[in-house]
Amino acid sequence: MMLSRVADSLYWMSRYLERAEHTARLLAVKLESTVEQTREESENSWLRVAASLSSEDFLAEKPDGFAVTRRLAFDHYNPSSLVSSLAFARDNARQVREQLSNEVWEYLNRLYLRLSPVTAEGIWSQQPARLFREALEEIYTLGGVTDSTLNHREGWYFLEIGRNIERAQLVVRLLDLHFGTARALVKAEPSYFDWIVLLKYCNAFEPYCKEYTAIIEPEKIAQFLLFDFGFPHSVRYAVDRVCEALTQVAPGAPPSRREKVERLAGRLKAMVDFTQIDELIGGSLSAFLADITNQCEDIHEAVYASYIAYGAETVL
Amino acid sequence: MTVAAAKAARPGLDAPFTKYALSSAYDEMFSPDGTVRAHYRTLHTALAALPPEELYRRQQACELSFLHQGITFTVYSDKQATERIIPTDLIPRLITADEWAHIEKGLKQRIHALNLFLKDIYNDGRVLKDGLIPRSMIYGSKHYRREMRGLSVPHDAYVNVCGTDLIRCENGRFAVLEDNLRVPSGVSYMLTGRDVVRRAFPDLFQAMRVRPIDQYPRELLATLRSLVPFHEDASIAVLTPGIFNSAFFEHAFLARQMGVELVEGRDLLVNDNVVYARTTSGLKRIDVIYRRIDDDFIDPLIFRGDSALGVPGLFNAYRAGNVVIANALGTGVADDKAIYTYVPRLIRYYLSEEPILDQIDTFRCREKNSLSHVLANLDTLVVKAVGESGGYGMLVGPHATKAQRENFAEKIKADPENYIAQPTIQLSTAPTFVEGGIEARHIDLRPFILHGEETRLVPGAFTRVALKRGSLVVNSSQGGGSKDTWVIGDGA
Repeated sequence: MMLSRVADSLYWMSRYLERAEHTARLLAVKLESTVEQTREESENSWLRVAASLSSEDFLAEKPDGFAVTRRLAFDHYNPSSLVSSLAFARDNARQVREQLSNEVWEYLNRLYLRLSPVTAEGIWSQQPARLFREALEEIYTLGGVTDSTLNHREGWYFLEIGRNIERAQLVVRLLDLHFGTARALVKAEPSYFDWIVLLKYCNAFEPYCKEYTAIIEPEKIAQFLLFDFGFPHSVRYAVDRVCEALTQVAPGAPPSRREKVERLAGRLKAMVDFTQIDELIGGSLSAFLADITNQCEDIHEAVYASYIAYGAETVL
Repeated sequence: MTVAAAKAARPGLDAPFTKYALSSAYDEMFSPDGTVRAHYRTLHTALAALPPEELYRRQQACELSFLHQGITFTVYSDKQATERIIPTDLIPRLITADEWAHIEKGLKQRIHALNLFLKDIYNDGRVLKDGLIPRSMIYGSKHYRREMRGLSVPHDAYVNVCGTDLIRCENGRFAVLEDNLRVPSGVSYMLTGRDVVRRAFPDLFQAMRVRPIDQYPRELLATLRSLVPFHEDASIAVLTPGIFNSAFFEHAFLARQMGVELVEGRDLLVNDNVVYARTTSGLKRIDVIYRRIDDDFIDPLIFRGDSALGVPGLFNAYRAGNVVIANALGTGVADDKAIYTYVPRLIRYYLSEEPILDQIDTFRCREKNSLSHVLANLDTLVVKAVGESGGYGMLVGPHATKAQRENFAEKIKADPENYIAQPTIQLSTAPTFVEGGIEARHIDLRPFILHGEETRLVPGAFTRVALKRGSLVVNSSQGGGSKDTWVIGDGA
């Protein structure tokens, strides 16, 4: 048996951790790559980082690495900052403390306690990228600890659903900034360098090169990040994990409550399994990306309606 | 005698105990002449051989481990919420097998009598008809639950989990200070404290044959199960107010250790007088609730309507016998500080036995003679409001200013029934690692008694320690810390 509230907390704990991981990686990659860019290139790429992680009102300000880092990493009042994501993840974990192994809880708690007091001013002069790399390593470790110390039962699958729905949406947002409607937010066209950074934002640079060699082609990047079936940060991979996890949760729920959720997830899976990149390039890619985001939202809502926030009168 | 005078009059102690001041209080480690008590010798030798830096290092490791485990309580200030750990002192407090046997026997006797008393006042009221206790004291108590009248509880066990506070007086004897019959907490500190101290002193642990306490969650589970004897796979849940409660760690800890569900009020719903939990697969019936929420908040339909923590309809499900709630509702009437004064009489009345454990002489301000005595001697007495706990609503006469005493005297005069007074007892002292050295600090003792079909105790307790020099207030909310309690085998 799994309480609906517990499923809710596990789902969000894992979504927030995925967001924290993504934020830490973007900042680490961006800070490491700034040195090789011209001032103008650097400003544009900071703008993309800001646009991929926060609401648009912030974009009116002049993109400045320090300000962006402060806001995206250390601002406790910004609900999508790195420290806020970790705080939310930890709050959710604390709610379901008894469902987690000691190791998972302690890793997460230590990570939070370590990063929570850090300020941008405090680290800016001492290789800030290093801090994000270390945070990233700890989040990866936490992922490994989660996989090896939790029983892979219902709770673990709710973690999977949360992580992968978030991941698919974050990758789509990055793609949208480079291929879709959000591309207009940054005036300059992405340069060769920006494409490499995009791959690195998704941990994809070397895996991409293995697949397509070091020749960088935007179309192939889109293909890789959307449709590669084995790469853990591709949209298709994430959607597969969601579909698989959905078959493992709520084992006692009647078919009538499973149907809608599984149908929605199956439709998205079919879409990313059977679309080819050349059908999208030069036309419908924007719409395709928006469609994925919307379908992810629909799946999220259906999971809640079926398993978490259902009305008691529907089951009595 | 002041502490300084006592120190001068007594022999100096060896390093690392040079700063250790013996006072008129009973000291757990040293006899008044400065010799080490027999059962403390092994520990004394080990501490004497341990450089203070090493002790400090182990203390730091212990605190870090608590912080990482999240064994914290939250302190709210204007800007931010800060998490603090409950300070845990590494030096264990020792209790001999004989002392423990006496305590255990006495506590079992006490919980037995208190349960009979609760059954009586919620049914026939024999004790009231016989004039042993004034009716007004029961019916006027804010913890008396009229709704419980005539309701039967499994095995007549109203109090299933009890945490009784004991102190050791100047004469070396243990005495009961207070019974906690509602939702006593602290058992997680007993268990997690043991974990870190065992790691800090593994050799001592074996040498002294410390009796284990890890079985507590199993015994708690067995106690809860015994409340639904005919139900093979009863589903049991711990009901918590949620993460903002200062004892949340404990609620989660116990649920995890027992392998049962931890639920909040919002997870439960009542339909047709049956309690269900909302799960991903649908509704699941709940048979036993170990609740860590006060009576007042448990069911907004019956008790406080503004409570968002409870479950509407829970009490009716309970009345209908479809769910067991532990502890039963309305047990608070038997642990208020005025009823305390009658417990020895209750033991004689219900069990025809003499009380095994001492308790503290107490003046009931509701009685005229006592009231005038109390008002005349405020500077030597401790005065407590009968319905309060956690160190709130009390006056420690010798430590209060004249103005505070006068202020409190007015409160007593205005509502004498609400107050009791006790002589200021010097709680015993025990060696405690503070400020880089070992000093004497006052301690108490809270063992936990489990009572269902059987009555069980694990040989251990939550020992609270007043970390401030000279302070007698051990409550965690008032700057107290905790200590591991070792019940040791004979001949250690």
